[in-house]
Amino acid sequence: MKVILLRFGPLYLKGNNRYVFENMLISNIKKKLCDENFKFEKTFGRYVVSNYEKSREDAIVQKLKQVFGLYSLSVAEEVVASVDAIKNEIEKNELDGKSFKVIVKRADKNFPVPSMEFAKELGGLLLDKNPNASVDLYNPMVEVNVDIRMNGKAYIFNETIKCQGGLPLGSAGKAMLLLSGGIDSPVAGYLMGKRGLELEALHFYSYPYTSELAKEKVITLAKELTPYLGKIDLHVVSFTKVQEAIHMNCSSEYMITLMRRIMMRVAERLCEKYSLGAIVTGESLGQVASQTMNSMTVTGGVVNNKPIFRPCIALDKEDIIEVAKDIGTYKTSVLPYEDCCTVFLPKNPVIKPTIEKCEKEEKRLNIEALVEECLAGEEIIEIK
Amino acid sequence: MIYLDNAATTKMYEGGAELYKKYACQSFYNPSAGYGEAIEIKKELDNVRSLIKAKLNSSHGDVIFTGGATESNNLAIMGSRRNGKFEYIFSEGGHPSTYNVAKELERQGFIVHFVKLQENGQVDYSQIESLLNDKTRLISVEHVSNETGAINDILKISKMRSLKAPKALLHVDGVQAFCKIEINIDTLNVDLYSLSAHKFHGPKGVGALYVKNIEPLKSIVFGGGQEDGYRSGTENVPGIMAMGYAIDKADVNDNLQKASKFNKLLKSMLERDEHIHINNIVGSPYIISLWFEGVNGETLMRALSGRGVIVGTGSACSTKKAGNRVLESMGYKKEQIKSHLRISFDEFLTEEEVRKAGEIIVEEYNKLRERVL
Repeated sequence: MKVILLRFGPLYLKGNNRYVFENMLISNIKKKLCDENFKFEKTFGRYVVSNYEKSREDAIVQKLKQVFGLYSLSVAEEVVASVDAIKNEIEKNELDGKSFKVIVKRADKNFPVPSMEFAKELGGLLLDKNPNASVDLYNPMVEVNVDIRMNGKAYIFNETIKCQGGLPLGSAGKAMLLLSGGIDSPVAGYLMGKRGLELEALHFYSYPYTSELAKEKVITLAKELTPYLGKIDLHVVSFTKVQEAIHMNCSSEYMITLMRRIMMRVAERLCEKYSLGAIVTGESLGQVASQTMNSMTVTGGVVNNKPIFRPCIALDKEDIIEVAKDIGTYKTSVLPYEDCCTVFLPKNPVIKPTIEKCEKEEKRLNIEALVEECLAGEEIIEIK
Repeated sequence: MIYLDNAATTKMYEGGAELYKKYACQSFYNPSAGYGEAIEIKKELDNVRSLIKAKLNSSHGDVIFTGGATESNNLAIMGSRRNGKFEYIFSEGGHPSTYNVAKELERQGFIVHFVKLQENGQVDYSQIESLLNDKTRLISVEHVSNETGAINDILKISKMRSLKAPKALLHVDGVQAFCKIEINIDTLNVDLYSLSAHKFHGPKGVGALYVKNIEPLKSIVFGGGQEDGYRSGTENVPGIMAMGYAIDKADVNDNLQKASKFNKLLKSMLERDEHIHINNIVGSPYIISLWFEGVNGETLMRALSGRGVIVGTGSACSTKKAGNRVLESMGYKKEQIKSHLRISFDEFLTEEEVRKAGEIIVEEYNKLRERVL
């Protein structure tokens, strides 16, 4: 019987919490495959997905490859863990003219033949059947794997497909992702999701200075993240009044810095409102003027009770782009619509802002009223 | 809603839509088929060809139905290509469906010249004159600019051609002119003329190419040999019939008078504001090209749509890309281009609507201006 054999990562490191993590991972897998017919079996150290429609196999594999916490999978033939049954199945490998290697793993130590010995035996069998084949232990063209498990079954497969790795989505709690519409913030969301964080997203827009299309773009980006992050609540907040107020009252070089300080305040308030544990941003050290160490000090300075996660902090732009391309958000991110950060863009944004100067500038604004106004106009879009 | 973006597209006539339905659901026969019903359709299509020729005041020549002006322009330009050391002349003010075809010709290794625009929006006639020679194969210009409304003097270009490059073909993109201004194709001595139904209250996805002398043209779409082999593919019968309806309905003189009245009224209202600048275009009354000191055109466009007034930004819309090719060619400064808007009329508007729109434009502009300055 064809099955999909799933391997998960170092959940076993989690001690007594292991079952919490495992249950979360299993629940995420089942949620991911909710449109499919299948049977799920949990055995020690492996999960087995079986009884699915053969025509759906590729689609199911693709879906499983997006589940955080799974490390690899193999499409395998499941047989009873007996010497004869395994030999029977192994013989089906057509290796004419190819080099190969047999790898036997024996989780079930009660299996009568030791791994190395059994591998040699199976190799001999394959050589008999395929006189033009050869054994290559270092760089074989075909790997024949036999995984003998505790459930009385053995799994025979040729390929191990790498999955996402990371921790099960939700196992690290829930946070707020600042989603701008650029390349970096969706990548930040993906990276934190991989560490187990479930996410809601926050987008600021500035109608009429920014286009409806910019908002549509962010909705598309959020949608493109759902294969990894599941359902996302997208909070959309109008930032027009804030930008106009800063533009009218403060020095232009501080525009972006002051904007970001207010964004952070709004984000923290929304975290409190929706019981979210952290703020996630796509900032990368030194990428632009507002992402210097000084800038992050003053923008992060207004957040009192939540950590700010910046998973892209040490990545080069090229690395971020590579991830964006991998997860499928890049094409949308580079669509040319203005986001609210490009409106009222100062010619010379301050590179080393100070908290003192920010506070002095902010005295000319009614910060609390501006934050309240942002919160009052919040719109929530459920992205599935 | 007050719709002032008629250069982008127009509302279809109700009667045209009914006719469209009739030819989609009842008289739906394939005009290439041999039975009586189909032959009737073929005749109806030929009637629309006659209507187009009549509107163009053409005494001879053919009409090829296409999927719209982009296709007409591609057929006219690509279908006129010849191997050898020929030269091709294009206006820098052309719509992307001519300009980008020219770029493609250039990429394919043809010798392509682009003609600058004057500050008033017209092509630089002296540059055209200097470029014309016995190797010129094709001159392609827009009759009325879709960005600014500037009208090119086709007769002048045609005469230059007859004098200096008599063998060259003259292609005119008439999308913003057909059914809007009087055209006398015989007098103008134009070889190829493109038009698009949805710019004069016809349906989208249908257009035509007028061809004075079909012989030199070569097809660029191959298949079943419809349209005498110049545009294979079953004719869009409902679309063509609805286009015919719109052509029949269009009263050019009346339309022109109305557009001129609206144009004058709106200009007089906007000009009162010293920060609103109407571009000095020698052009069609259907289009006003203007810019607003200190305010991004796109921002104003969105603010206006919030108030129920729809205007166009032309192709200045992709703000991250630099500028606007047409306005740049006219020598406009970056800030003028960024603040540019295009207002375009049709005959269904009323004076009251135009006046209301004028008030809203001035009001919204000043609101924004106060906030951003």
